[in-house]
Amino acid sequence: MKEFKLDSIPKIETGFKTPDGYFENFAQQLIEKLPQEESKVIPLFQKYKVLTLIAAAAIALIVTVPIFNSSSTITKEIDSATLESYLSYQTNISQYDLINALNEDDIKNIKKNVAIEETTMEVETIEDILVGNGNLEHLLLE
Amino acid sequence: MLEEKEFIQKLLNPSTQDKAFQQLLLDYQKPLYNHVRTIVINHDDANDVLQNTFIKIFQNLKNFKGDSKLFSWMYRIATNESLTFLNQKAKKGGITSEAAQQKAIDNLEADIDYDGNEIQLTLQKAIIKLPEKQQLIFKMKYFQELKYEEISEILGTSVGALKASYHHAVKKIEAFVSQG
Repeated sequence: MKEFKLDSIPKIETGFKTPDGYFENFAQQLIEKLPQEESKVIPLFQKYKVLTLIAAAAIALIVTVPIFNSSSTITKEIDSATLESYLSYQTNISQYDLINALNEDDIKNIKKNVAIEETTMEVETIEDILVGNGNLEHLLLE
Repeated sequence: MLEEKEFIQKLLNPSTQDKAFQQLLLDYQKPLYNHVRTIVINHDDANDVLQNTFIKIFQNLKNFKGDSKLFSWMYRIATNESLTFLNQKAKKGGITSEAAQQKAIDNLEADIDYDGNEIQLTLQKAIIKLPEKQQLIFKMKYFQELKYEEISEILGTSVGALKASYHHAVKKIEAFVSQG
């Protein structure tokens, strides 16, 4: 083939062909595929929904924890009998520690009680109390 | 242009979208298929690329600004999808894009979806020897019979540069065919 000129001959087609009914089916196939492509978005939204629910649950938990805590501190207030027995069997706590734990009002109360008792009671009785009560003995020494 | 604007509105409106998109498919599936097929050569590949192209068109319609014509916007998507597909296919096969295209042309004779005669096959073999851009321009001008202005809008190349490229492409093809 010599001196071939494209514009001197009729247009050369591509020679490509398509299977029978390809274009008739293509539109239908694609339209069926489009909602699938869109549905890929839905799980993403569901994921967000789950995340939102988790976040809401977490916030609810954070808000309610202090409420439960405060209510539990009320119910968990140790009654004096338990405290007393705990302190008596707790050998690590010395009397010195107990005295240190007293505040000024406690000390005043004790002093006041002692003062009242001093005026109304016989000295022997006071002495008996002092002998029998280690706490007071310690306090008086202080 | 008003017609196109109205059509785009129909494509964006959920109540008219399905019907408008079906119309878009009917109008453009053949020209876009032919465009894609000349780039990727094989029918099954062209089918995959065409599907991806229309899915992309559908997904990105809301972003279509109307700066260019709907026609050239869709051709641009189809061209990009085709070239991306070729590159990915070549990468998977561990060969260059040119080698992948050469392979596709070598397989043409045995392809059940190809019934080209001798001159048609020779022309395909000649085109494949051109640089990628010249191939694109030649295929769009010669096979698709698009106007230079349309190709310019699709590829973003000036009309002058397109004319020069097409001229070079024709010369190289004529030389290839003449040499036999």
